[in-house]
Amino acid sequence: MRPIPRSALRPYVCPSCRSSRTLGRRRFASQSDQVPDIYDVVCVGGGPAGLGLLAALRASPVTSNLRVALIETQDLQKARSWKLDSHQFSNRVSSLTPASVSFLQRIGAWEHLDTDRTLPYQEMQVWDGETDSRISFDWSMETSPFEDLRTVATMTENSNLVQALLARIAESGDENISIFSNTTVSSIENGADLIEGPDLSAWPVLSLAPTGLAPSSATPPRIAARLLVGADGINSPVRRFADIQTDGWDYNRHGIVATLSLADLETPTFPVGTRTAYQRFLPSLGGPIALLPLPGNHATLVWSTTVENAAYLKSLPPKAFIAMVNAAFRLSMPDLKYMMRMEQPATTSASETPHEDELSWRVQHTEFSRVPPMVTGVQEGSVASFPLRFRHASTYISPRVALVGDAAHVIHPLAGQGLNLGLGDVASLSKSIEYSVNHGMDVGDLLSLEHYTADRWATNAKIGGACDVLHKLYNVPGQNPVAWARSFGLDVIDRLPFVKAFLMRNAEG
Amino acid sequence: MGPSRVLHLMNPIRHEFITSCLSEGTSQPQTSSPTNTNKNNNLHYLDVGCGGGIFAESLARTIPSSSSSNSNHPQTPTQAASITAIDPTTTLIKIARDHARTDPKVDAHLRSGRFVYKNCTLEDIVAQQKQGEPETTPGKYDVVTLFEVLEHIDTNATSSPLSFLTNCLRVLRPGGWLIGSTISRSLPSFLVNQVIAEAPWPIGVVPRGTHEWRKFVNPGELEGWVQEGLMRSSDGAAERAGSEALQGMRWKCAGVMYFPGLGWRLVDGSEDWGNYFWAVRKGV
Repeated sequence: MRPIPRSALRPYVCPSCRSSRTLGRRRFASQSDQVPDIYDVVCVGGGPAGLGLLAALRASPVTSNLRVALIETQDLQKARSWKLDSHQFSNRVSSLTPASVSFLQRIGAWEHLDTDRTLPYQEMQVWDGETDSRISFDWSMETSPFEDLRTVATMTENSNLVQALLARIAESGDENISIFSNTTVSSIENGADLIEGPDLSAWPVLSLAPTGLAPSSATPPRIAARLLVGADGINSPVRRFADIQTDGWDYNRHGIVATLSLADLETPTFPVGTRTAYQRFLPSLGGPIALLPLPGNHATLVWSTTVENAAYLKSLPPKAFIAMVNAAFRLSMPDLKYMMRMEQPATTSASETPHEDELSWRVQHTEFSRVPPMVTGVQEGSVASFPLRFRHASTYISPRVALVGDAAHVIHPLAGQGLNLGLGDVASLSKSIEYSVNHGMDVGDLLSLEHYTADRWATNAKIGGACDVLHKLYNVPGQNPVAWARSFGLDVIDRLPFVKAFLMRNAEG
Repeated sequence: MGPSRVLHLMNPIRHEFITSCLSEGTSQPQTSSPTNTNKNNNLHYLDVGCGGGIFAESLARTIPSSSSSNSNHPQTPTQAASITAIDPTTTLIKIARDHARTDPKVDAHLRSGRFVYKNCTLEDIVAQQKQGEPETTPGKYDVVTLFEVLEHIDTNATSSPLSFLTNCLRVLRPGGWLIGSTISRSLPSFLVNQVIAEAPWPIGVVPRGTHEWRKFVNPGELEGWVQEGLMRSSDGAAERAGSEALQGMRWKCAGVMYFPGLGWRLVDGSEDWGNYFWAVRKGV
């Protein structure tokens, strides 16, 4: 824990003990005695989690009078004016669970979302590439035949969500809110005991600096935070300031993302318009491949695989890349492993690339069912990759500090839960801030914050841990007891409606 | 975890109990009308026996700050406009003042006078009020709070819970609330407060002698005292007030229990067992 006066740790020191300690000494005072600008909540990081927290605080009449600030390194003006053609999609897409959607509706952000660009899907097909055992997730056992299938999740571009949250915050007016865009936090330290003013020796004081072109006169140099929220990602400077330990490892895997276009379905869906997400585990290639539906005949790809495979896939020309994606949903493991090592000819003169030839030949000799429609195109410039990691902070709180989103936890993307956990964090934190304000508590006090960490830590550990176990289980290649056991488990779950319904309710959040 | 942690955890319940009392009416007429346009905080609090300021500071935090224009600040649950917190112990007042400085909002209220810590007794407040006024002048506080105080009051020639409660009611405006919490004298409360809480470390959490079980007050006794106190507090120099002083009075009582890991919870009917909240509203 960072060095702070004992007075900040009030719950653990009784008044009689505190009085004997030397309080308010200026050991941690900064170089400047000038009074910092004082805010109730300062959020570092303007991603979906940070913006979600701000929007939630502005939406509640109880917390809308709090003085809040947001600090973001990127240019938020670009995020506000983000626009893409209706047939183009960003490659950073998240599947929002119904719990996340209802949170966004509650804080009034959903109506600012461009819903023409979002897509709810009602069914999920998950199968094992090694043994072909399969599980399908939909709400058919809980909905009557006369109504439409319930939504499993809603695909939403992160940029669309960020834009909606910014619009929601703008709608709340500009009183008591400061947004520092294009601004970095150059340092965080404990404040000073001001002789002619309050004792801020346990308050985090941030020094801000403009990035690039922002006019330096508009930025106040120092701001103090009653509650400093770290929504600043995996390498969170706020977490470092609070001296909160984080546990974790790198998966040695990369996630490949891309925006794809699909051929028409051969058979119509029932009920009409049902959209499906597909995920196939490829134990020999290092992780699952998932194809998640977007509006129209579009889909987004998330393929978790080894670093070498990821580099190979990214080096392929579009046609070969498409062939590999189609192969990954259809061919057997040995075929795929072979195709993953094929030489790419220097000249692409032939109308069909070797990967396409290989796929069309091998697919004739493979049996498969319920696979996604053939991928026909990849949006230019949408293929990208990112490293997969697991991180979990030992706690989410410290006096006057709370961590949310990736600053608190980073998980394997195979269940698409990362952003949902972040939104769950801010829903919980904004609720406990509201409770504290209503009950005269200091929102930065550990007593106020302990509700938040108690509410979220175990939940996030459970979901992150489940994703980690699935990753490990589905990285054992070949036919062996592990593969049989996991397939047996999947088959059993698929046949027991109540177990499946329990799992789905858990995933729903 | 010290004894103050359990007290801190009780603090939100104090706010909730006050809110539930105020919902039945206050001494400020305009807030009780249903077509209420004045939504601002307008109640003046007196916290008697504030100690280290756990409650007083939390209430001060709900007073809207002067910078946020008062008119568009929504009414807070406790409707507080100001608070005066008194305690006869000099060290406690000093601790409370030092702690208040660590919160700029509370510090600003201290500087503006909306929040006052006074190192004085309740009798001093009563004497101050009487100066140059007829004895029957109603008090100036809308809410008087008395949290975890009654069980520490001695009964001797100069002091008793009854005279103490009478003084509390004297400084209260008609229609105002006297709200407190204390512990009833029962076998469970004896075991919890005397045997367990004052046991040697590591079981015990409070110093020996913090509580004296025989000073604990049962709800029935307390209700009798406040009725007596209401009559005495409206006594004038010449005439004695009778039962008409009780007209419009309202008595509330709610038991609370502490569940380790969960915190304090209101439990109906538990007021005869241990900790409980009580409130009395002076007739308008």
